Amino acid sequence: MKRLKFAKEKCIGCQLCAQVCSAMKEGEYVPSKARIAIETYYDNGNLKYNDHFCILCGMCAKACPVDAIKIGEYIQVDMDVCIGCGACADKCPKHVVKIRDEKAYICDTCKGDPTCVKTCPQNALTFE
Amino acid sequence: MEITITLRGTLKKLFGPDKERKVEVPDHCTCDEALRAVGINYKEIPNFGFVAVNGMRVMIDDKLSPGDELKAWSRISGG
Amino acid sequence: MTMLGYQNKVLRIDLTKKGASFEPLRMDFAKKYVGSKGLAIRYMYEELDPGIDPLGPENKLFLTTGPLTGTPVPCSGKLSVAAKSPATGTMNDCSIGGHVGIRLKYAGYDMVIFEGKLSEPGYILIDDGKIRFMDASHLWGLGSHEAESILAKEYGTEYSIMSIGPAGENLCVMSCINSDYYRQAGRGGIGAVMGSKNMKAIVIRGTGGVKVNDIENTTNRIMELLRESVVTEDNQFIYDDGTTAFLEACNDGGILPWKNFSDTTDEKWTEYNGDVLKQHRVGKRGCGSCGLGCGNFLQIGDAICEGPEYESISVAGPNAGVRDPEKIVKFNQVADDMGLDTISAGDTIIWAMEMTEKGIHDFGIKFGEADKMIEYLKLMAKNEGVGKDLALGTKRASEKFGGTEFAMQVKGLEYPQYEPRGSWAMSVSYAVSDRGACHMRSYAPNEEVFAASVPPYTGENKGQLVYNLAEFNAIKFSLCICDFWGTIDYDIMAELLTIVTGETWTAEDMSTIGRRVINIGRAFNQREGFNRSHDTVPKRVVTEALKSGPAKGQVIPPEVFDDMLSQYYQVMGWDENGIMPDDLVASLL
Repeated sequence: MKRLKFAKEKCIGCQLCAQVCSAMKEGEYVPSKARIAIETYYDNGNLKYNDHFCILCGMCAKACPVDAIKIGEYIQVDMDVCIGCGACADKCPKHVVKIRDEKAYICDTCKGDPTCVKTCPQNALTFE
Repeated sequence: MEITITLRGTLKKLFGPDKERKVEVPDHCTCDEALRAVGINYKEIPNFGFVAVNGMRVMIDDKLSPGDELKAWSRISGG
Repeated sequence: MTMLGYQNKVLRIDLTKKGASFEPLRMDFAKKYVGSKGLAIRYMYEELDPGIDPLGPENKLFLTTGPLTGTPVPCSGKLSVAAKSPATGTMNDCSIGGHVGIRLKYAGYDMVIFEGKLSEPGYILIDDGKIRFMDASHLWGLGSHEAESILAKEYGTEYSIMSIGPAGENLCVMSCINSDYYRQAGRGGIGAVMGSKNMKAIVIRGTGGVKVNDIENTTNRIMELLRESVVTEDNQFIYDDGTTAFLEACNDGGILPWKNFSDTTDEKWTEYNGDVLKQHRVGKRGCGSCGLGCGNFLQIGDAICEGPEYESISVAGPNAGVRDPEKIVKFNQVADDMGLDTISAGDTIIWAMEMTEKGIHDFGIKFGEADKMIEYLKLMAKNEGVGKDLALGTKRASEKFGGTEFAMQVKGLEYPQYEPRGSWAMSVSYAVSDRGACHMRSYAPNEEVFAASVPPYTGENKGQLVYNLAEFNAIKFSLCICDFWGTIDYDIMAELLTIVTGETWTAEDMSTIGRRVINIGRAFNQREGFNRSHDTVPKRVVTEALKSGPAKGQVIPPEVFDDMLSQYYQVMGWDENGIMPDDLVASLL
């Protein structure tokens, strides 16, 4: 099964991944609503990385009390079943899950053809 | 006469793995002629920049002397 | 009629009353000036009466995005930071990278205008629609880096922070505004405008978005351009080297300045060049929406910075007679932390070196004294000791102490690190730039040095050359697109604006608007009383022949400078005194 991989030494922190993800998923350039959030920042003279991307670990699916989350080649949330309780977000080790308007938004790798990977100008994101 | 040609920027790839090449060229030929001797016609390269001889920029038709180092740059833009 | 891409909202902040209001964007201005640089100057022309004190409460600080800001258009992540300049009295627009511009746009604003003055030191929080006036007494007096660090801990990485250092607090005409620690709105004393308003920092978060038509196709086309025109072989040097690539090129080209522009070229440039600096590279960073990542994060000894850029390397290196890369990086770090423009502060210190060595006035520093150069930055930022005099900048300091012939400045803004005797048109670029000597308006070396065909040591046709380059940057920085997308052209610019805004823009529009942006800047300055007599060249450039390098023996005869200047005025349609006719001014409004 293919998963997203992140080579941080290649990342320039441009956040094009999140911009384009939100474009495809939300119809607007609004990275705060993207299913991926990667950034670089300086802290105490060090260059650091926050890499929130789905690694298909399945913890969200296990945590869901209403079985709204299916995990196969990619994650799918049944929005009719999801009650927005946030249990998935609490358990997600990569802090990717976003709860908004009582629903959970989780990366589905664009159904196996991730746009973020195609977008990344420095090939820091791969799908393998 | 023998001169050395070094390429910079995107022109580097024209020499493959070589950092520079020592070449035989006609005595006191121009920079343009010397480059053509190694298959580089600056007029056919859209992002050809400028040339320098022994670390000093010259015009493309200036003449070379034996032992000179001819450096050819691709364009770099910015400020 | 609104256009997409824009938020159609301006946030106006009254620092005196501690109030904030929203108003629609002047779409009529946007149609004529697009955004960022052009839009900022048009607003300044409208709102800043001639004759106001740049350090007084009537000056305003304009943060201006463009329609492309916040979209994935590559290299669109810059923000215009504009005000009347305390250094020159002209208009000033700076360009800062990082993420702050994009976050302002996502917060919902095309522009933020700061008016008036806080009654005591504070910082402004802009959190989407929430505006707060916060106490900064615990931050005032701190270096910019420490202040940003404290605010970053409090707010987290979602927030961008703009801050000034002690230099801005002390109203130094060479003070800058920092963000992401190492990115600047650098020149013209823009930091002092914030300082004069008692603003230590601005903290910004934006969780909203930018809308465009047909987002899937628009995005696909943008991504195509990213691959075809931006992340290409031709631009690879930007990732690999950043601006350090210019060091060798300028040295070969005969425009790398040596010891306060008294000569050019340094045969030992390999001691501090990009290859040396690369060995100390820790990581790479770019701005938001960048594709190229020019930022080089370095650690060498106890010196850290993202950089140093060509300007900083040159002014703290060969132009100061220094060849120690660690000292050069340290100079950059301290300048950033103190909140000083490396170009202007560096040029002033190296002027002081020449003054001391020539015995005209003893500033206590000579060429090569790198440690002192770094110490002097702190003294200048804090107005202490010899720093009190040097904080004036080269123009005012040379008027006081002498040495005006080699005070390398125009209108009070110091010379960037390209020697015009090696690229004659550059002397005019510096002279006519809208904010004093600036290389980002009309970058003559692009044609005169880094290309094969234009002869550098003649004045022929140079007026047109200066104009063509100025027009290109003027429209580019109004979109705005970063300098480093060097392979962009008017067709691509027009296409980007069209697909993002939904309005049709043509390549010809780009040229027309570029010209208009140059003119509105000139109109602002003209209204302040500027004319040909202020479009100057330092005496050194027209009287002293270079002694080394490819431009050895070159000096620009004053009559050639005058002729190039007159050519430029003709191209612009201004009179012999550099004055715009009334009908031309009226056509801009």
